[in-house]
Amino acid sequence: MAPRMGRGPAEPVRDMPADPGLTHVPPLPRARIPDAPVALEQVDEWRWRIPRDTRRGMRVDGLVFADERLMAHLRDDPALGQVANVATLPGIVGASLAMPDVHWGYGFPVGGVAATLADGGVISPGGIGFDINCGVRLLRCGLNRGDVTRVATRLADELFRAVPTGLGARGGRHLGPHELDGVFSAGAAWAVQRGLGSPEDLELTEELGEFAGTDPASVSERARQRGGDQLGTLGSGNHFLEVQAVDRVLDSDGARALALAMDQVVVLIHCGSRGLGHQVCTDHLAAMDRAAARYGIVLPDRQLACAPLGTPEADGYLAAMAAAANFAWANRQVISHAVRGVFGRIFGRDVGEDMRLVYDVSHNIAKMERHRVGGREIQLCVHRKGATRALPAGHPDVPARYRGVGQPVLIPGDMGRYSFVAVGAPGAMEQSFGSTCHGAGRDLSRHAASRELRGVDVAAELARQGITVRAQRPDLLAEEAALAYKDVVAVVEVAAGAGLIRPVARMRPLVVIKG
Amino acid sequence: MVHRGRSHGYLPHTADAGLVARAPTLAGLFEEAALALAELAADNPGLEGAPVPAGPLNAGDLGGLAFAWLNELIGLAESAGQALVGATVTRLDRAGDGWIVEGRALLAPWGEAGLQGRRHVKAVTFHRLVVEEGRAGFALAAYVDL
Repeated sequence: MAPRMGRGPAEPVRDMPADPGLTHVPPLPRARIPDAPVALEQVDEWRWRIPRDTRRGMRVDGLVFADERLMAHLRDDPALGQVANVATLPGIVGASLAMPDVHWGYGFPVGGVAATLADGGVISPGGIGFDINCGVRLLRCGLNRGDVTRVATRLADELFRAVPTGLGARGGRHLGPHELDGVFSAGAAWAVQRGLGSPEDLELTEELGEFAGTDPASVSERARQRGGDQLGTLGSGNHFLEVQAVDRVLDSDGARALALAMDQVVVLIHCGSRGLGHQVCTDHLAAMDRAAARYGIVLPDRQLACAPLGTPEADGYLAAMAAAANFAWANRQVISHAVRGVFGRIFGRDVGEDMRLVYDVSHNIAKMERHRVGGREIQLCVHRKGATRALPAGHPDVPARYRGVGQPVLIPGDMGRYSFVAVGAPGAMEQSFGSTCHGAGRDLSRHAASRELRGVDVAAELARQGITVRAQRPDLLAEEAALAYKDVVAVVEVAAGAGLIRPVARMRPLVVIKG
Repeated sequence: MVHRGRSHGYLPHTADAGLVARAPTLAGLFEEAALALAELAADNPGLEGAPVPAGPLNAGDLGGLAFAWLNELIGLAESAGQALVGATVTRLDRAGDGWIVEGRALLAPWGEAGLQGRRHVKAVTFHRLVVEEGRAGFALAAYVDL
């Protein structure tokens, strides 16, 4: 592994002034701050415990996957208090987990995992997040780095035209009620049925790109209005589409199984369920917030609003979540088709048609899974909020072609450094309900990053590194610059050291499309 | 900027953002919070926007009402494919054991007169959501998902 790039400790976020571009006002009104710092005990080189007696109401310990370097940044971060808060959820088992890319979220930390009893536990929409089934898809093709760098400008321009990005972006078609119902039910298969992909794409997508148990009636009219025009769009913020090249093979068996090789060109797509998913979460958070008193649920953070599994509120949310998840899979499928089209136009039809899916994985989802707890196998509701499933070799839910090595795990870094592809390892099943990190994780707030890079032309700096970037707001690229993120190498080191994953390959960006 | 005794600003968050609004009245507070939300999402050259009905919305407490109000504005704007540039409150009262708010979202088309998107506001969260009354009026703080 490459040595970690040196950076000083991050500024304590709470002490920072307001956005320099906007008006500073008197401090936050006196408010209950539910995510104050907590006690920490180091377990070993890769894990830290937050004892359950740290805070009233904790039903289990918190467990943070981090080494000393990452923990130096985390100690005063509200994320750790949020890990403790999640530990108060009714029916939570094992521990409230934090992956090594953990950072301050709302309710759940980003990078949080929590498993609750299917019988007697709760579902919390905040444990999935507003962007339901935000996830990552990796495509591979037969090109090498040199093939792309020769035409990087044209490739960037055409991808930017072909995949709508940014605020107000609309997809190529408006989906009416009947079509949306079809997307909700069939997910990625909806797109494949319309010629926008192949059956192989479905085989290599988590849940085969189609979550069961949807109910279109559970998706509000407002959610449909928000999402009806957005299928095939990338979104904005930290969503991206990147053309990358493998610059290091870390596990030759894994690379062979995933059909990845040194210098090979791949495409990484990061996006989710767009406004439709956001509205689903909002709708059902409000419903659970209203119902909390009726179920006798008291929580340290209102954003942890939840309902017991099996109740109407929980059932309604799960059905709507599944529908939104399917929308996201269809979204990434439609975008993949657009990418294949661009590659076909530029490099020849064969290249586009031969662009194959490696895997598509979600990092904001809740799933009913069986895991061993206390020596017994039981049904759990596993919440992954900024965390990825990581199943080891031999697991029946791993696609047959990968069952010998494990489920691919896609770990995007930042646009200036690296991304990784790994496979799940047995330690994930033993320690984290089959879960691992989802990316680099933010380290600086957006305005802190902007302030650090004031006057810097981020796009020009990336170009000097051989990275061609296109964005709707190039002036805001600083918010997504490398220094805003943890070093993904450090994050992957911890996940691997703890036995959650086995790294397979490292990739470097060549072309970056940002919303 | 302080105008008519109202003001708003922002709070840092690692991946997202917080907003703070202050006003002498509750209705003014909800309008000011809407303005804070709008300025977070878009660079507005001064467009006043066209009114679209917002609400009526009910909630059991003021925090829940603020959650409902601000998310309604977000939803209206995105459904219309336009930018939120502000809002007006026509009614904010107690209703039974809770509260009710009704008003108008002010929307403008993206690109009009240089109106540009800045950040995609997905939703307002319940995290650290507070509506408080003090000596000088009311204050609201909320964190939004970007």
